[in-house]
This record gives sequence, C-alpha cells and structure tokens, in this order.
Amino acid sequence: MNQFQYVRATKSQGAIDAVAKDPQAKFIAGGTNLVDLMKRGIMTPQKLVDINRLPLAKIERQDNGLRLGALALNSTVANDALVRQHQPLLALALNAGASPQLRNMATVGGNMLQRTRCSYFYDLTMPCNKREPGTGCGALEGINRMHAIFGASDKCIAVHPSDMSVALVALDATVLVSGSKGDRRIAFADFHRLPGDTPEKDTNLEAGELITAVDIPDGPFTKHVHYQKVRERASYAFALVSTAAALDLDGNTIKAARLAMGGVAHKPWRLTAAEQSLVGQPATEASFRRAAEVAMQGAKAFKHNAYKLKLGPNTIVQALRTAAAA
Amino acid sequence: MNAEPELESPHDDSRRTFLKQSSVLTAMALVPSPVVTAAAAELDEKVAAAFEKVPLSLKVNGTKHKLKVEPRTTLLDLLREQLHLTGTKKGCDYGQCGACTVHVDGQRVNSCLSFAVMHDGQEITTIEGLAKGDELHPMQEAFVKHDGFQCGYCTPGQIMSAVACVREGHAGSEGEIREYMSGNICRCGAYSNIVAAIQDVKQGGQKV
Amino acid sequence: MKAQQKQIGAPMNRVDGHLKVTGAAKYSAEYELPGLAYAVLVGSTITKGRLTSIDAKAAERAPGVLAVITHYNSPKVPGYDTAGKDPSQPATVGGPIKLFNDDKIRFNDQPIAVVVADTLERARYAARLVKAQYAKEAHQTNLEDNKPQAFLPTSAKKNPKSPMADYQRGQADAYKTGAIKIEGEYVIPTEVHHPMELQSITAHWEAPDRLTLYDKTQGTLATRRDFAKEWGLPEANVKVIATFVGGAFGNALHSWPHESAAIIAAKVVNRPVKLMLTREQMFTMVGYRPYTWQKLGMSATPDGKITAITHESIGQTSTYEEFTESTLAQTRMMYASPNLTTRYRLAALDIGSPIWMRGPGEATGAFALESAMDEMAHLLNLDPLEFRLRNYTDTDPEKNRPWSTKFLKECYKLGADRIGWNKRKLKPGSIRDGEWLVGYGMGVGTFGAHRGGAHASAQLRPDGTVLMQCATTDIGPGTGTAMTQIAADTLGIAPEKITFELGHSDYPQAGTQGGSSTVNSVGPAVQQACLALKDKLRELAGAQNPAFASAKKDDVALGDKHLSLSSNTAARVPYADLLKQAGAASVTVEAKPGNEGQQYSMYSFSVHFAEVRVHELTGEVRVSKLVSCADAGTIINEKTAANQMKGGAVGGIGMALMEHARIDDRFGRYVTKDLADYHVPVHADAPNIEVAFVNQPDLKVNALGTKGIGEIATIGVAPAIANAVFNATGKRVRELPITPDKLV
Repeated sequence: MNQFQYVRATKSQGAIDAVAKDPQAKFIAGGTNLVDLMKRGIMTPQKLVDINRLPLAKIERQDNGLRLGALALNSTVANDALVRQHQPLLALALNAGASPQLRNMATVGGNMLQRTRCSYFYDLTMPCNKREPGTGCGALEGINRMHAIFGASDKCIAVHPSDMSVALVALDATVLVSGSKGDRRIAFADFHRLPGDTPEKDTNLEAGELITAVDIPDGPFTKHVHYQKVRERASYAFALVSTAAALDLDGNTIKAARLAMGGVAHKPWRLTAAEQSLVGQPATEASFRRAAEVAMQGAKAFKHNAYKLKLGPNTIVQALRTAAAA
Repeated sequence: MNAEPELESPHDDSRRTFLKQSSVLTAMALVPSPVVTAAAAELDEKVAAAFEKVPLSLKVNGTKHKLKVEPRTTLLDLLREQLHLTGTKKGCDYGQCGACTVHVDGQRVNSCLSFAVMHDGQEITTIEGLAKGDELHPMQEAFVKHDGFQCGYCTPGQIMSAVACVREGHAGSEGEIREYMSGNICRCGAYSNIVAAIQDVKQGGQKV
Repeated sequence: MKAQQKQIGAPMNRVDGHLKVTGAAKYSAEYELPGLAYAVLVGSTITKGRLTSIDAKAAERAPGVLAVITHYNSPKVPGYDTAGKDPSQPATVGGPIKLFNDDKIRFNDQPIAVVVADTLERARYAARLVKAQYAKEAHQTNLEDNKPQAFLPTSAKKNPKSPMADYQRGQADAYKTGAIKIEGEYVIPTEVHHPMELQSITAHWEAPDRLTLYDKTQGTLATRRDFAKEWGLPEANVKVIATFVGGAFGNALHSWPHESAAIIAAKVVNRPVKLMLTREQMFTMVGYRPYTWQKLGMSATPDGKITAITHESIGQTSTYEEFTESTLAQTRMMYASPNLTTRYRLAALDIGSPIWMRGPGEATGAFALESAMDEMAHLLNLDPLEFRLRNYTDTDPEKNRPWSTKFLKECYKLGADRIGWNKRKLKPGSIRDGEWLVGYGMGVGTFGAHRGGAHASAQLRPDGTVLMQCATTDIGPGTGTAMTQIAADTLGIAPEKITFELGHSDYPQAGTQGGSSTVNSVGPAVQQACLALKDKLRELAGAQNPAFASAKKDDVALGDKHLSLSSNTAARVPYADLLKQAGAASVTVEAKPGNEGQQYSMYSFSVHFAEVRVHELTGEVRVSKLVSCADAGTIINEKTAANQMKGGAVGGIGMALMEHARIDDRFGRYVTKDLADYHVPVHADAPNIEVAFVNQPDLKVNALGTKGIGEIATIGVAPAIANAVFNATGKRVRELPITPDKLV
C-alpha cells in the first residue's frame, strides 16, 4: 500500500475543505471497503481524512421520520429500537449484509459508498472502465454471472453490492450531504448512478461532499416487510439477487407497496411500476407473480447471468409472500 | 501554523522537512542512477522514517502502549508484527474470514480492515488478553471441552467472536449462533463443536 | 499402583488445546528472529510467454528495501541443475519451477520477483513498483477445450500395472449393450484448499551452509529433502520446523515456489526472511483440486445387479508436472460388477500444478460413481441403499483378494437409522416443508488404509515423565493427542505424564501427514517405542534388582517415582537410581508394515446420509442434517475422530454447494480471487453432523487396528448431497457446485 498522510477531522467543515481541495484525498470512516481497496492498489489516496470523531453517529426522530447519522454503525442501526419500530425493513437488510464484525465497523455513509465487487474492477491487470476509464469492460464478454440485468451500459455492467441501500431506496430515504458549497438533500434514488459512459462515478456526490445523515420518512411499512437475499451460501456472501419488499395491507388488500432489488444494477433498483401493479390487489401469489413480471420488464442478461431473469422474479415473489405473512 | 484548523495532524513537523527534501530527491533522480542510488537510499531512509510514522496511544490487553506507526499499518499487522501478539491471525487480510477478530472498546471487529492510527486512545482486547492469568476464560474452557477446533488457526478469532456473540445476546438458539458466528470461517469444519461450546457457555450462565 | 484408565478410544481433550485457545500456538509466520525481514512476491500478469525485462529500480529505491530479486540477479541455486528433470517423479520433489532461473512464464501469477524490506508495509508497497515487460504466447487454461489433447500419464505408459493405467475386467465398455443402462458426464470444477493459515515460511540461514525453515508443511522430512537437494546441502544441515500447521488439506504436500523465494531472499539479504502469501496467491501457486471431467456408463439387470461400468476421467495438470490422483479407484473395487473399464487421462494447461486436496481423486471419482448409483437405482425404481446392498461385495473384485476388514454394511445400518432413511420417498419431489422441498440422499466413500514405516523415540526422565518425539506433523486431526493416548496405554501411565513432540525434522523420521496414514504409521511406532522403553527399563532395573532381570517384558509397571513389576509390587527401583548413570533412558524404534498389504485389500469405508431442503423459488439448498458413518478401524480418540469426520463433511458441503474457482480464459486469471468470490462453508451452512463409528479393529493394518479417517470423511459427501437434491427436486445436477442458478 502506498504511504498517505493521515489527519483526524474534529469538525465537518475542516474535513470537507481538506477533501474538496485535494483530489487525492478521501474520507475514511469504517474503512471496511476502502482499506481493502487500498491494500490491493485499486484506490490509492495520498491523504486520508478520518471522520470517525465527527458527531454524526446519532439515530433520532426528526420531522415525522428517522434520521440516521452517517457515522452510525450498521450494527447499531440494525439493533436500534427506533429503527426496529419504524423501519424494520432496514434492520432486516442490514443484518443480511456482511458479518457481525464488519457491521460493527461499517457506517451508514460508508455502506452507501461501497464500490462494486466486480472481479474485473478488483484486478489491476484486467480491463475495467470503472477503475481505469478507457480500458474497456472485462465483464461484458467475461465471466459475468454476478452482473447487472438492468441499466447496464457497454462501458460497465457491474452491480452495487449494498443490502442497506436496497431497503433505503425502497423506503424513499433522502441523503443529507454537506459540501464546500453548502448543504443539500439528495433523494436516495438519485444518489447512486447508472454507469452510462462514466462508470468511474458511482454516485452523484461532488468532490469533497460529505454524507452527514440519511432521513427516512415514516410510512405504513412497519409490519409486512421482508428482505429476501439469495446468495451462494447461507450467510456472509454478496447477493446473487435480493429484494426488499414492504406492504401496507388492509385485510388482504394491498394499499401500498414498496419494492427494490439488489444485485441487478449499478444502483439499488427501485421497482415503482411493480409497486403500482400491486396497489388495490389482493395479497396473493397471482398478484405477486404479476408484479414480478412487471418488475422484470426491460431486463437483459449476459452470457452467464441469464439465471437472474428467473431468479429475480422468484425472489420478488418470495419477498412479497414473506412480507405479506409477516 | 496549520492550514487546516479543524483537522488534527498526528504527523510531526518532519513532514514538511520531507516535502522540502523530496524535491532534492526529484533532482537527484535526473542524475545517472548509480551515482545517486546509495546517497538517495540513505536520505530516503531517514526522511521516510520521519515522514511515515505518527504517534499512537493504545491500550492492549490492559497495557498502555505509546507507539509511532505508519498510518498504513493495519491494527492486525501492528499487533502481530510490532507488538508480537501473534494470537490474532491473518487468514485473508480482507475482512472475509474473521481470523483477525479482536475487541475494540468491547466490540468485535476485523483488525485487518482498519488502520491502527484510527484507534488512538481505544482499548483493544486480543485472545492473549482473555484469560485471567492461568485461568482460562469460560469460552476458552468450552472450546477445549467441546473440541471446537482442529488446526487451531481460526480459533482465536472464533473465541473472540463467540464471546462477543454471547455478550451481544445473539446466542439465543443454535440457528442464531450459526448466523452470528458466520463471520468466522473454520476450514477444518469444527462448526458444530464451536456451536456446542458457545451454547454450553451461554447455558452455563457464567459471566463472559 | 493405580490401575490406569484405558486411553485409547477415550474422548480425551487435545494435548495442545490450551495453546490453541490462548493464542500461544506458534505457526510458521510467528517466530521472532533477530533482524527478521519481510518478503513479498511479484507475480506474472501474463499466462504464458517470456519475460523480456523487469524494471526494479523504483522498488529498489523505495524506503526500507533490502533487495529485489529476479532471474536477472538471483544467486545460482545449485540444485536447479539436477532437479525436476523427470516430470513423472512424485510431486513432492521440489524445484520443477526453478524459481528465478529463467525468463519463462508457465502460469499467471508465477513469481517473477521477490521484494525484501525491513517492514511488511514497505515490502508490500515496493512489490507494487516492480514492472515487467513480456513476450506473450497463446495460452490454454480451459480443460473442456483441451480434452482432445488428453494423454495417458507417463507413469501408466511406463508401467501397465500402474493404478493410472487403463483397467479392464470382463468385457470392455460392456454397459453399452446392456438393456438397462445410464450414461452421464460429470464435472468437478477447480477447488482450492484454502486453509485458514495463509501459506507462510520463515527462512533462516544460520550459517552459509545451514538452513532453518519454519514452514507450513505436512512433511518436515519431505521439505527438508527438497530444499537440501535444491541447495546441494546434506540433509542434516537443513532443519524444518512445523510445530503447528494452520490447516493444509493437501496443499502443504508439495514444495512450492514461495518457499524457494524466501530461501533465496534470506540468502541474498543474509537475514531471516518471512514470507506469507496473500489470499489471491493461495489460488495460483500452492495447488488446488484439479478441474476434472468424467463420463460414467453403467448397466444393470432388472433386479438390480450391476452388469458393467465404464468410468473415464480427464483431470487437469500443469505443463511442467504430471499430477495424478486416484479418481477411478473406488469404481474398480466398490461394487461387484463383472465387466468394468476405467480410463484415466490428463490434460496439461498453463496453470500452476494441482495437488491432492482432501479425499483427493477418490472424492472426485465418488461424485460420479455415487451419483450414477443413485441414477441407476432411480431408473430401476429401487431404494438406493437396497441397490447398493444388492451389489455389495465381500471380496475385492479388482484384486481378487479378501478385505482385511470391511464393515460397510454396518455403516449403512447405523446411518440409515440415524438419518431416518425410511422417511425417504422413491418419487422425487414428494416431501415438502412449507416452501422447502425435502430430499434424502446417500454416498459411499472409501480410501486405502495406507501405512508406511515410521520412527519414534521415547525417553524416561527422572521425574517419571516420558518425552516422545517424531518428525510427523499435525495439520489439525490431533496427532499429538492420539499418540499420547497410545503411549499412555502402552506404558500404563497417565497421559499427563507424556509429552509428545512433533513437527521437527530432527526428530525420528516419519512420513508426510497425508493420505489418512499418520495414525496407521506413526501409531505403531509409538506403541513399539513404548514397549522398547519398558524393556530397556527392565534391563536397567535388572542390574539393580534380579527380579527385573527375570521378569517378562510386559510385567514392567511404571509408577510415579519408581519402576516395579505388576506381578511383584514389592520389587521397586526408583527412577532416580535407575537413571543415575545414564541420566535418562531413551529408545528410538522403527515400525514397518509387514506383507499384509499383498495378501489383503485394506480400505477404510464410509457412508454419508444427507437430508436437504431446496427452496422452491430461490433454488437455495440447505443441508438440514448429515449423518456420517465410518468403518475406520480402531478409533483412538472418539472426540477428535468425530471432529475430523464432521470437518470432512463440511468440506463435502463446500464441494457440493459452493466451491468453484473460475478462470477467465481470455486472460488466464482467476476471477475468484479471495474468500468473498470463492465461497467455503460458514457456520450457517453447517448443520449438526452426526457421526458414528463401527470401531472394529483391523489388525491386518497394524497392531492398533486403525485404518484412517481424514479422506473418507469427505469422500462420498458431495454425491450424498447431490442425490438428496435430486430426491427433493427431481433435478439431477452433474456439474458441481449446486448453486441456486442451477435449480431455479
């Protein structure tokens, strides 16, 4: 690993300025992804601004919603009484990710900023437009069984690995950021990007912008929720496909629904059309299957990930079934 | 004078010295290499040593350490290579196996995935700090009794994780233990014995 | 004197348990040596071709760097001139790569340089600065593409009786004309051992001609031999220490390039050098279970008698070593088929050499054979257990010899009862548990009860304790514990009084820990050393007390502080007196197998029963119950033996459901690079595993009656799970692993 300068931020503004003015600087919080990437030479910041001591770890009620401080640990959020009461889907998604040790290190902000686990991104000797723009996409014609079926471009077919983000996009969360130009709010669905021609950019954050919190509005999704994650072993693995499902039921009739998928796109993939198809319908297998069909419209597979065209809808049905029965 | 008043730089002033001297190094690089290699190497050595290291205070297994470490040194490598606490194991170095599990301020974490400097002022417990003198921790006793290991390499991480699993209240059932111990891989496959050991400790009600 | 408890068979706690649970057990990267330097390897980024240049300047100038060694500046390694000339020689002979000797690239990530620095961080950083230029050549990394070029191994060409040679009894390929027949192709992908301890070595030249290696090896003597040869040194000048080995599963049965690199580096910098591989490097340069294609055809009579089997296989090897394994061995001897044909071939690819991985070829072959057994039983509408019983054989049909012992039927019974085999339905997809489809399957395993010669020493000290030593290693099964139990019973003293030291090449010689042979081989040596010690003590005592001189050998009793006779407890000689002159009494003995191996077919047997649940929508498979039963002869330690069986079963779960190392053939590089891409089972994948032993001694193998456990613990598990998946779903997966994409 290259040497770097290490500074500890005591105030947000100092941290923001330090990163904004230095393109070689990065924030570090939990470090669970950045340290990994630095060890492998995939990211080589010359300066790290440690933000762990900034007062951004609170979880609190705020304006008919929950506010999660960007530095709140994944384990803290998953176990938090307010989160479990108001947003149980988030707790389920968090606990489906990584391991207890990693959840004790990873933060809300860092989880959102995880980089793809694409094997070509992870190998310095292979082509990857995300890691090194212009070198091509190794996965496009390569071993792409873990890759996207939605929103991919011919420059990049990688997927975003976060579970937490799949729940947050379903729950209409908002990301609060601070930058040198001031504070702004970004709808969670607009936070991550599709690869297009610039896959090197994972998100719409600007240089030096610091995630300070995530707001989740209260909603009716406090009971009938489920996070279904399908992986190649029973735990501690990235998703082949996952689905966050939340239902608001009146008897057996669906009043409102939220659906999003992970492991299928460059960003957590919200399924609004499928949600719409569920509204007013009975919570039955047939409704779920129809929603899953709607959800898969426009999906496109590559050589090794055609199974996702079947596993995807099945996972949606299973998530909805379990949510309805919860 | 600090250009970044809201940042603490643990680096000492030698950083600026380094920055000045690095231009000397650049200039030297233009001279035919055999001429300068020896000189540069020596200069590099001194300058780099000063530049690389920052002060760090840690409490490890109850002992306070005042150290100077490179920021790029992970907590795991600090423990193993500098403090010679080799009970904490390196199994993957990427947070994918759990062999490096230690407690930081009482919470289990993967020591391979954080830089030691990030833990300034914190308290680290490793496997070497679990027993009270000659008296094994109940989890260590249970691992011996239930044969919760074979080669022994993942064992320190399993035990540190198991203690945390019980403390966190995640040892309520076999299934819960399995899920909350899944961050610790045992390639020898002693899993069911490890689960038995954890259940024994949990049911024994001893303080862990 | 207190009567001693019988230790053999008892579930004794491990003798090294305390060291392992306190972090005090030292593995090969954990020795503090003065002036220790760190080495990091730089790997080739091409798969085949030549190095045209290496730019090491930046690395050499980086802070703390002591040396950058490449083939341009490596010291001459004297043994390179003679080593590795014959590709058919056993893989454990070192040096086939001849590291840093030439510009040839044989596989991706082949080490092209080693960087040595004063700290790990500096060495790692500088390694990234080394840049190489190559002349690339077209490479081959795909076995399927290379099946047409598959060849008969050299060992089989030279010797038609080699187990790798084509085999036939009855008519060749007779299954093809059978009325009831099946035929299928089976694939085991590349699997990687991935012990939790990364391969590590600390190399120390204590003098220009004296080398000490703290090394992860399964054979201290094999490693000593290899590196003595590589450096042209007398073996006595090389010391190999492997007190603790953090798992290996076969990957420390071979000497590898990183070991050569550390030794060269230590020579160059004249300091002890430590080298620990990265997890990525564990894929590329320390072996793996080779990708293997198999085809199996079988015919049977309507009443379930097998009439013919043909089993063919093509396994992967490298271009510079011929790696072979016994993929087809189980097929030749397990069932009484009158017509049987096997053909074993290799395909050489531009990938590092494979090495035996737990259960080695037998586990690969058993996947095909035991899957086919299930397929035929299904076709015949027979219970698969009943089908196996109808084809049970009481003599070895391959060698026409009696079995030394075979209690496989007893295993079937034990296992079927415990899994609840009677719940199984003949028709697949018949049992449901909510959204989960439930199925049951079985698979049989067998492995030769191998025994080699071994030495052990025993020494009585004046305090009445006994020190035993042997160069054998313990990669996890609990060798030291089992040997202590054998010694305790033989000497008639408490195990606490015995210290068994192993993992050091200076100790009395024993073979490599592999092929389930350690207890079979070292156990008798320990037993005989203890008997010899008793006799020696009797002799010594005889000089002081005539009662001992005339006593029978086994009459000698070791008390707390004195030697006595069981028949005459009044006869006593204190140890202090006994050892006054000599200081200590010690013996070293060698125990060798007799010719029983020529008269009998000696095998361990196992059967595994799996209950699985397959999710109807997601295709996820969970093994909800596993029962493993073994006929492994005498069980020395019920606790550690059961643990070993459970571990083998977990390995089988990995093989069946998740393990798959994938290469992108365009680059010849693995896309599975770490434990996030290459999945091995975690806690949540492992059910409660029930183990049952027949525990009947096989006295043809040795006087203890042991047959070996390590391999049969894994062999047959993967097909048991695959068969259970078929029983649950009606889907037959012939290409492992059974991941959700194959079932949705």
